[in-house]
This record gives sequence, C-alpha cells and structure tokens, in this order.
Amino acid sequence: MPDNWSYVVAAWAIAAAALAGYWRYLARRERALEGAGRPAPRRAGEAPSRPPAAGAAPGGPAARP
Amino acid sequence: MSATRVLGWLAVAGLGAGLVMAFGVAPREITQGNVQRIMYVHVPAVWVAYLAFLVVCGASVVYLVRRSATADTLAAACTEVGVLFLGINIVTGAIWGKPTWGAWWTWDARLTSVSVVFLMYVGYLLLRRMTDDPERGARLSAVLGVLAAPSIYLVHTSVYWWRTLHQPPSLLKAGSATMPAVFWLAILVNFVAFALLAAHFVGRRVRLLAREREAHA
Repeated sequence: MPDNWSYVVAAWAIAAAALAGYWRYLARRERALEGAGRPAPRRAGEAPSRPPAAGAAPGGPAARP
Repeated sequence: MSATRVLGWLAVAGLGAGLVMAFGVAPREITQGNVQRIMYVHVPAVWVAYLAFLVVCGASVVYLVRRSATADTLAAACTEVGVLFLGINIVTGAIWGKPTWGAWWTWDARLTSVSVVFLMYVGYLLLRRMTDDPERGARLSAVLGVLAAPSIYLVHTSVYWWRTLHQPPSLLKAGSATMPAVFWLAILVNFVAFALLAAHFVGRRVRLLAREREAHA
C-alpha cells in the first residue's frame, strides 16, 4: 500500500491547528477579561481623575445645596 | 508557578515525546504503510474525549445533588475540551478512512454513534448559551451531561453489536493486546501528552468561567 504521507501530514496538521486555535482562544478571552478589569487608559490632554470629595455622591450628579 | 502552567509545560514536553514516538520510534506498519501513523493522534484524542465526558457526568451529578457552582463550571469546561478532542478524532478518522477504506465517511455504526455523541455534547454547550437564566441552563445541561454519558459505552461497543467497517478495539478490550508493544507505547505516550494538555485547557477554562461568572454577578 502506498504511504500516503499527505494524509498523515494533513491529519497531524489539522489536530495541531485545532489545539493551537483553542489555546489562542483561551489566551484572547483571558486578555479580554484582564482588560475589562482594568480602568480605561486616559486620553491625551484629559485631566487625571481625582477621588470624589467627602460627602459627594460617587458617579452621580453633583449635589446642589 | 501555577499548577495549570506546570501542566502546560508538561504537555508541551509530552507532545514532543509523542511526535518522536509516532514518527521516530514506531516502525512503518506492514499492511497500511505510514498512513497508520494517524492512529497516534486519532486514538489518544478519543480516549481524552471519553475521559472528559466521564468527568462531565460526575460533575453534573455533583451539581444536581449539591448545586455546587464549582461542579457546574468543571462540567462546562470539560465539555468544551471533550468536544475539541472528539472533533479532532472524527476529522483525523475521516482523513485516515479515505486512503484505507476509499471513503471519507460512511454511515457505519461506529462513525454514526460517535457523531451522535459529538452532537449531544455540542447541544450541551448550545443549551448553556441559549438559556437566559444561568441557574436553569446549568440544571438542564447537568441533566444532559448525565444522560449523554452512557452513549460513550454505546460508541465503544458498537463495533461488537453491529457489522461495521471500523475495526474492533485493539487496546481497550478484554485479554492481552494484539499489537506489538512499540505501537501501543506510542499511543500511550501521545495519550498522556493529550491528557496533560486537556487538563491544562480545563484548568484555564475553569478559571475563565469563574471570572466571567463573577463579572456577571
């Protein structure tokens, strides 16, 4: 029977591609989750964020007297 | 260094050893020629998938009894990894079938039963994503994870119960192995490498699913 090396190479290459593809998928998901957990990077010219003043509602509209 | 990372490096070393065994140590098979070397990826892949689905069954039982989120996460991760390895088994089997049987695919009992099992576990993954209520999705998929497990036995015994084109098992059977030691040693080394890689994948996927669960909570 002929050796059919092309079939052997195809089978091993597809298996390697599937495993490497899943590896990359996991790495991408991990990076995406890490990115989501971090604060967004500051744009050029944007003032650095300061902690809210004592008594101010965090994230809400400024309280008027 | 975390256990998952150690497993990853061990898997890389194992895959290297598996390649050496499959292409360097194992001799050319006398009947089929070198195309038989597909066996060293085809057979270990299905064994790892079987193992992953057995873990799915066990973790699903634990989830149904104790409602443990860890068990549910483990079952989901193992299903994904099992589907990956079963997919590799089916595709490499089709590639092996063409030069040896003259057909990529035939509706033989082994091939049909393994494709049904593949679809059942793909259904498990779809069920989790399609259900809006995560609790309900976890419960339904756990039931499917338990119900699908006996089908693995059906796949294994299909070659005995029906007349099939697929050969009967050479290793997972009663009695001593009929193939020379060097062949099953090459399968064993690749199986260990694939199992280590699967454990590495499951470890990473469990951590990801747990973090996703926390992010959505």
